[in-house]
Amino acid sequence: MNEEKEVEEQPKPIVLEKLEEHHADALLAQDETRGTVVVVVRKEQVYAVLEYLKTDSELAYTFLVDVTAVDNSRMESELMQFDYARFMVVYQLYSYQGQCRLRVKVPVHENDLSIPSVTALWKGANWLERETYDMFGINFEGHPDLRRILMPDDFEGHPLQKDYPLRGRGERESFNFDKQNA
Amino acid sequence: MGLDFVGQGVGETDGNIITTTIDKVVNWGRKNSLWPMPFGTACCAIEMMATLASKFDLSRFGSEAIRFSPRQSDLLIVSGRISIKMMPVLKRIYDQMPDPKWVISMGACASCGGVFDTYTLIQGVDQFIPVDVYIPGCPPRPEDLIDAVLQVQQKITSGASPKGVETVV
Ligand code: SF4
Repeated sequence: MNEEKEVEEQPKPIVLEKLEEHHADALLAQDETRGTVVVVVRKEQVYAVLEYLKTDSELAYTFLVDVTAVDNSRMESELMQFDYARFMVVYQLYSYQGQCRLRVKVPVHENDLSIPSVTALWKGANWLERETYDMFGINFEGHPDLRRILMPDDFEGHPLQKDYPLRGRGERESFNFDKQNA
Repeated sequence: MGLDFVGQGVGETDGNIITTTIDKVVNWGRKNSLWPMPFGTACCAIEMMATLASKFDLSRFGSEAIRFSPRQSDLLIVSGRISIKMMPVLKRIYDQMPDPKWVISMGACASCGGVFDTYTLIQGVDQFIPVDVYIPGCPPRPEDLIDAVLQVQQKITSGASPKGVETVV
């Protein structure tokens, strides 16, 4: 118990120290919000960083809580910070061992909407990545089965992109009745 | 007794014979044994469950035999949001129910989309299946659902056809 307290009270969380030591070139930014450490990581190195976070015996972020994304196209302040990358893919991790959370964010540019899949690290990433693909159009490279998961298969577009009209493009009237029944 | 009702307006003879029309007897039976097919997709379904539980006890009105097979049901209760992916399923279930069948659209979402005026939500299931009784509310109270069932019963008693059927045989 004491040890954990010390970790919390340290000016720099141990995960940041270790990341700076092993993956300094991957780190774009670091922050802390409401007790959660946030790191922004380069896309090229995200797989290596996540693998390190999961397998390092001291950190052991073994639980992938969530994968999602944020469309920052209307958040000028966020856009400027990361070279006008429109999307931010977000991984939420939890370490049972250290009982702490970590948020890993990865800027993704609109002209290259791809990012390595982490299904090889966490099987549970499968549906989470499918959802992120469905809603934001991010392509997870190496994903075994990247299909839509929430929207109908023949749906066009990615509705959580900010430029998708809230009331849709007429799909409420023109959705396909038969295909989904097959 | 219910049978007095059957003979309503029709002469009653001595002994145990009641004369009436076959329609009235059949409708009397239908009215008092509506078997609901629950289509609960959201919060309204919680109120529907409460309606069936002991406190409100829908069985007092003959509708406690919830069937999860549309082929055994004659009252479809749509309680909750219906998305464009769910609507084909709902339509198919409606189609599978034997005639005559009635539909209650429970709550704002099923009736008009409610607060969810978004790309994926059907703005009223009556665009695709005929609805007999709408219940306003978000969510409606169990009493409202009971009232809707009673309205369906009234409709049956009056001999009116369900919304989706031309004539009841
Ligand atoms: S009408 Fe209200 S309670 Fe009913 S499904 Fe919609 S949001 Fe939920």
